[in-house]
Amino acid sequence: MQKKRFNIWPYLLISPALLIVTFVVFLPVLEAIFMSFQNYDLRRPDKIAYIGFQNFAEMFADPIFWLAFKNTVIWVVFGVGLQFFFGFILALLLNQKFIGRGLVRSVSLIPWATPGVLIGLMWKWIYDGNYGVLNDLLMKVGLVDQPIMFLSQTSTAFGSVIVTIIWQGIPFFAIMILAGLQGISQEMYEAADIDGATKLQKLFRITIPSLKNVIFITILLRVIWVANSVDIIHNITGGGPSYSTQTLSVYIFNKANVLDLGYSSSMALFLMFMLAVVAVPYLKNSFKEGTK
Amino acid sequence: MKKLLLLFIMLWCGAALLGCTAAQNSSDQDEENEQPTENEAENEGENEEEASDDSEGATITYWYWADNSEYSQLMQDIIAEFNETNDKGITVVGEEYPWDGGGYSETLFTAAVGGGGPDVASFKLTSTPLFTANDLLVNLDDFINNWEDKDEIDENLYNVMKKASGTDSIYVMPWNTQILYVYYRPSIFEEAGVEVPTTYEEFLTAIEKTTMDTDGDGTTDVYGFGMRGATGGHEPWGSFIHGRGGSFDELDSEASIKGMQDFIDIYENGYVPPTATTDGFNEIIANFKSGKTAMTIHHTGSSAEMVETFGDDVSAFAFPAGEGQWTSMGDTENVIFESTEHKEAAFEWVSYLATGKGQEDWTIATGNVPVSKTVQQLDHFQNNKFMKASIDGMPYAGIIPIKDTTTEWISTIWPNTTSAALLGDQSAEEAMQTLQEALHEE
Repeated sequence: MQKKRFNIWPYLLISPALLIVTFVVFLPVLEAIFMSFQNYDLRRPDKIAYIGFQNFAEMFADPIFWLAFKNTVIWVVFGVGLQFFFGFILALLLNQKFIGRGLVRSVSLIPWATPGVLIGLMWKWIYDGNYGVLNDLLMKVGLVDQPIMFLSQTSTAFGSVIVTIIWQGIPFFAIMILAGLQGISQEMYEAADIDGATKLQKLFRITIPSLKNVIFITILLRVIWVANSVDIIHNITGGGPSYSTQTLSVYIFNKANVLDLGYSSSMALFLMFMLAVVAVPYLKNSFKEGTK
Repeated sequence: MKKLLLLFIMLWCGAALLGCTAAQNSSDQDEENEQPTENEAENEGENEEEASDDSEGATITYWYWADNSEYSQLMQDIIAEFNETNDKGITVVGEEYPWDGGGYSETLFTAAVGGGGPDVASFKLTSTPLFTANDLLVNLDDFINNWEDKDEIDENLYNVMKKASGTDSIYVMPWNTQILYVYYRPSIFEEAGVEVPTTYEEFLTAIEKTTMDTDGDGTTDVYGFGMRGATGGHEPWGSFIHGRGGSFDELDSEASIKGMQDFIDIYENGYVPPTATTDGFNEIIANFKSGKTAMTIHHTGSSAEMVETFGDDVSAFAFPAGEGQWTSMGDTENVIFESTEHKEAAFEWVSYLATGKGQEDWTIATGNVPVSKTVQQLDHFQNNKFMKASIDGMPYAGIIPIKDTTTEWISTIWPNTTSAALLGDQSAEEAMQTLQEALHEE
């Protein structure tokens, strides 16, 4: 059997892209890793030095960090979970034939196409306790007597920003799942009809299993994006009141903003590994399946 | 190969977040290595005049913020007039950035250390140590000593500028000041049977009495005070702390805690809008202008729009004295960046704003307190009730201690800790302990 010859061309062709990625992404990441072991605080530039694991020790002893960690878990689980749930329903609806389907599909994409900063400002005024349209509507239909201070009390602020991220993310799930739905062979449904399958049976035995990969990759992407998301919370509440809406990414942003870059880098590193814990099993699994 | 690819993808996932933080600072580290020593910096200041500095025909970029769209246009007009009238052919290009509750200073710093900053920028004193520690600002000592208008500005103001830098040098050029005072609605005071308070206790009583259910439906229609619980609220809050004899130096003292308790009490008793924990500048002004609040605290920057809304039914008084007395002296200066190639042209521009036509145009239109003695003597400033409240507050006006912890304390620690106290999650004592430690940590 003849030994396969080494071909250098694929490596040469991919090298420009790899070089760019190395300089634009990997070097800054490495620098951030180094910074996480320094008291890299630009407010005290004369004191910058390597301090070992001190940033991490402070981080694990910081009650605001643990509150932000808990908030991040809630933010991702409810944010992504409900985006998927409503996005799936929207995709099923948009997959039906009805007049004006194209227009509805386009309109439903608007939240996804709107910049996060604008979404934040928009929802901040929607929720406003004095002039917000949501309170106005609730009072007009008689659901409440007094305006609800959605963003000004700890009991409602975080729920309110979670609703906003759900609103933003539903179209992304819908469009991804819709694309998956259109790839499912109609013959499978016809065969199921012949076998007398109910609608629910078709959903759980054909539709969902066929969409498994689409659902997994979409959820994975959204988990990473939502966990890293800063713009919406920053513009609606800034992480308050009383840190009640502060997620890890917002805490990292706030710390970096006041130039405590060592501490913020150590938290960013922690968040990266947290996301890796979620992503690695899935990626391993999908690579195995890809080689079958 | 598969494992390598897997590792590649994993690093990619986390890179977006980490990349942002690190990329911003790759240049900082390089600059840090090149930072001159203190002596070298001083020598540089001495040699500024000798440095090649061609102001003839120079173009300089100028960053500023404006509180509303009228002031944006005003600044562009001042710039246009300067560009037309200066005899050195200097062209100023004005670029506006939002104040963003202090975020402006952070944006400016990031741009400056990253090499993308302007030649000149509007500035707040509180940022001075950060910028000077990173050798970003031009030492103005020689420029000011050789300046023909030097005596137009009160010596005390120069001293405040020096104190802010923590050195004997001036790095910021005075422009205008804003003294916080209390806006009130005379018609609401009359309806509530309240006189303008002359003591801190009377002020607290006025807040209580002007909180009214005007239509008798059992809900509050007018709140006594527009409290600012979001970023920037530490300034009016400071007046309450000092009103009980407390101070920024000892936030955990008994007197300071009593001041904090007053702040909590007026929230818990419903004398302020329930949104107060997250109300910022826009909200307190909107609440006052819509008649929802009887009093609020701000400076002359808002006086024009207040008069436009209420005519004669708005007036002002200086924050009254209790066991102590303090009000926040807002300040706006201009700074010249070391990175500029046109230091003399830049100084021409900042001096035009400090004592030239730019000073008169800006302070008259914005209602800010001028730093130029000549401009202060104009009738416009001598016969204005809001300016009078500002001037009344001048003797006890101050600034929050400028430390390297101040920015974080203002932007995140104060609003979150205070909202925790207002919402009952922390006692006044616990909150003040947190605030003391965060502001004065070494």
